[in-house]
Amino acid sequence: MSRDSNRDFLDPTVLGKLLGLQLNARSPMMGNVSGRHRSPVRGSAIEFAQYRKYVQGDDTRRLDWRTWGRTDRYYIKEFEADTNLRLCLIVDTSGSMGYGEPGSTRLDYARRLSGTLAYLAGQQGDAIGLYSGSVGTYRETPPRRGPQHLGLVLDQIAALKADGETGLIQAMHEAAEKIRQRALIVIVSDFLFHPEPLREAFQHLRFRKHDVSVFHLLDRQEIEFTFDRPTRFIDLEGGASLLADPTLIQRRYHEAVKDYLETINDIVNHSAVDYHRTFLDEAYDQVLARFLMGRNPKTARTAR
Amino acid sequence: MSFLQPILLIGLPLALLPVIIHLINQQRHRTVRWAAMMFLLDAKKMTKGLARLRQILILTMRVLAVATLVFAASRPLAGGWISLAGGKADTLVVLLDRSASMEQQNLETGESKRSTALARLADLIEKTASGSEIILIDSATLEPVKVTDAAALRDLPATAPTATSADVPAMLQKAVDFLVTNESGRTDIWLASDLRQNDWKPGSGQWQALRSDLAARKTVRLFLLTFPSVESNNAAVTVSEVKRRRTPEGLRLVMDLAIRRQRPDAATGDETIPVEITLNGTRTVEEMTVSGPELVRLGHTIELGSGNERGWGRIDLPADDNPADNHAFFVFDEPATRQTIIVSDDPLTAEAIRAAAAASTDPGVTYESTIIATADIARIPWEETALLFWQAPLPAPGTPSATLLQQHLTAGRGLVLLPPSDDGGAEIFGVKWGDWIGDEANPLKINWWRTESGLLANTRNGAPLSVGDLTLFRTRLYSGETQSLLKLESGESVISRVIPDGPSSEGETDSASAANSLYVWGTLPRTDHSSLATEGVVFFVMTHRALEGGADAVSRARSREAGKTALSGYPKMEALSLGRESDTLLAPGLAAGAYASGTGEDDRRLIALNRPAGEDDTRVLNPEALENLLAGVDYRQINDEVGSGSSLASEIWRAFLIAMALALIAEAALCLPPKPEAEINPLKSMT
Repeated sequence: MSRDSNRDFLDPTVLGKLLGLQLNARSPMMGNVSGRHRSPVRGSAIEFAQYRKYVQGDDTRRLDWRTWGRTDRYYIKEFEADTNLRLCLIVDTSGSMGYGEPGSTRLDYARRLSGTLAYLAGQQGDAIGLYSGSVGTYRETPPRRGPQHLGLVLDQIAALKADGETGLIQAMHEAAEKIRQRALIVIVSDFLFHPEPLREAFQHLRFRKHDVSVFHLLDRQEIEFTFDRPTRFIDLEGGASLLADPTLIQRRYHEAVKDYLETINDIVNHSAVDYHRTFLDEAYDQVLARFLMGRNPKTARTAR
Repeated sequence: MSFLQPILLIGLPLALLPVIIHLINQQRHRTVRWAAMMFLLDAKKMTKGLARLRQILILTMRVLAVATLVFAASRPLAGGWISLAGGKADTLVVLLDRSASMEQQNLETGESKRSTALARLADLIEKTASGSEIILIDSATLEPVKVTDAAALRDLPATAPTATSADVPAMLQKAVDFLVTNESGRTDIWLASDLRQNDWKPGSGQWQALRSDLAARKTVRLFLLTFPSVESNNAAVTVSEVKRRRTPEGLRLVMDLAIRRQRPDAATGDETIPVEITLNGTRTVEEMTVSGPELVRLGHTIELGSGNERGWGRIDLPADDNPADNHAFFVFDEPATRQTIIVSDDPLTAEAIRAAAAASTDPGVTYESTIIATADIARIPWEETALLFWQAPLPAPGTPSATLLQQHLTAGRGLVLLPPSDDGGAEIFGVKWGDWIGDEANPLKINWWRTESGLLANTRNGAPLSVGDLTLFRTRLYSGETQSLLKLESGESVISRVIPDGPSSEGETDSASAANSLYVWGTLPRTDHSSLATEGVVFFVMTHRALEGGADAVSRARSREAGKTALSGYPKMEALSLGRESDTLLAPGLAAGAYASGTGEDDRRLIALNRPAGEDDTRVLNPEALENLLAGVDYRQINDEVGSGSSLASEIWRAFLIAMALALIAEAALCLPPKPEAEINPLKSMT
């Protein structure tokens, strides 16, 4: 891949390290071409699945003649069908994603995560789609395969801008409605809004039998809140600014954060979501490595 | 509130420094672009009430700390009364009770009620009234004195102890008169007194006028610095009825001696008191045993011996709570002839009186009685007359006769006005003769006579005189301000004592005693007027009681109550013995002691001055009585203890410093971070 200034969120070194890890889905996927992922339908792959009795209309070519010879009964021999994976990336582009120093904002971190995952999926021959936006600026790129589409997705990731109030819930519901076949949906957001609507959105996606993964991006300062003098806080999503003495409200702030995180945990546990709380000071390659290894049945135990 | 350094109060706005610093600090905040506003908003919502209150309390404590520091530096004065008074008065009038009872001491500090009051007032003036005009009116002289140096208040002769009584209403009246005369503006009147009923005279008619005067003057505030405590360990001695008797064994002095004691066990325990008796400078000590609260020795006798035909003496008790009542003075001399003059043209009347007055009741005393016709008034030996019966038309004021009568009374001699048969004359001493009533056929019925005092009082052993047996046929009515001693059924007074004009007060002893010796008899000792002459006992007693009243005035040795005018009229006065050495600095008449007047044998007079008997009356005004006396007057009472170290206006900067320290401690406590175990770490709790 050429070094394009718009795609500096892709680090070849990281890509090189992670290419050895396969992006797997936790459940069978419904691809439209043959691939590396399990399919819910039986196919003609080399991996034996099961025997079943012959019923009228079955393809006689799939009869197991050896079993007929031994038992004088007709059995159909079924094999696993391998298919490709649809990776749908949902990236929150609300104003709060712009938090952080220029060049290392939360959105930059989200770009690195989503861009690297898109590249890895592309390299596996999987389809990649991108859903993003905030209120009023919803964007959708349906999943497709091929290098050209991968380039398009990466360009769109590069072009993401943090602005306005969050439209993540809407984007999740849109994705749930529009992605008809089973897909791996990866959501990258800070979830800095009251989390109850997330419960419904996750359930909507799970209802569509999608495999949902979440990268919850947080900054340690947002959690620890270690300011020591009066500070004017300017809302990145355009709300009113707030002047506060952090020493006076720190305790209550911590209580609010604790309640929030407990609610998030409760939601993701009940929605069977693959949840990854990620701090911006963590190396994203390690975060992705842990994510990928957690999805590989062979390495899942060590990854977790 | 008053301050000794009010200029430093300019720094009071500094108390706003914490608020200003807080505001500046808030303006110097840094700005942060923040994503997690939801947590901030939640935290602010949760902490809105308590945190804001805490913040306000912290700021308040800081403001308080600075304010109290400024106040402390300004040296505030407390004492409640001063702070309540609300500002400095233009004039401060100090009314000082200098009566003998104010000398009650705290034996530990040696301070008396009077000196304690003076110390308090001097301290008060120095601290709060510098620049105000200070006027002192003392009870002994009632003269307003301007005081320029408050520190010298205790050393002024006008504040020294006296043996006099006080007249509180008269003092207040003087103060009001002074304020009216000088058109004083805002005035504080400080009255220092021990609230003795004897001094406050709750029955005085002056109070009503005083109340309305004081209540009407809105710029006048009255403060009572009172010392109502009564001595708990005290003995007082009094001497009365001192008479020199010549007996076959020699000269003796007979007197009534009373020792009244106030001890915790006074009612039950016996006590032997060493009584020091000094006679013309020679001291002897006699131990007297007091059982119960009082020892009274009627007719206590002292052998005079040769060479002590005249002189002075004193009786002293050991030191106790009140040194002013530990001594009693007496003087003695050859008894003067009790001369009675009857001015009358009615031989029957004059002769009856002359016979009664000339009869002796005391074998050691010579009684003489002379009848002078109304035309020979010039022959009256005024200086030697103890009692004068005047049955002649009353002289008009301003006439020579009226002047002589006035002087006669002023000197303390007795005067009885008898009704002339026809022309009653003018009005004098407030008395004017009216019409005759009654006739021999219809005797006048006696309804009532005064038995507790006066000419018709019961005898010493309590037996009443047989006034009811008298028969009255004719009496002449009279008008005037009198105290009736004998009344008819029809209500008319027959015999009266003339009440003195105006309020009696300290220093008016002479006029008071003069009035006490002025009687009006409406009937005559004639058989066609009454049975006075025939029922001779009552008439004899009346005559001699009147004579007794005036006899002291002609005596060479007199005993009087201390007062401003007690020694007036006596030239070349010399103190023979005084209650205390420093009393020589006092104005004449104010100190108890024995005095001698004149130089030659003829004009030599001895005078003993003692505290008035009322000063031994320990009854004090109760709060209700005081409230009634000053009803409607804006006054504040400060009860003080004799010799206590408190102050009317004490500096309270220490209290302000303590308040500052408390404010800082409270501020520190409010700024303390929450308990470590209660700290919430959201990340830890979520792992």
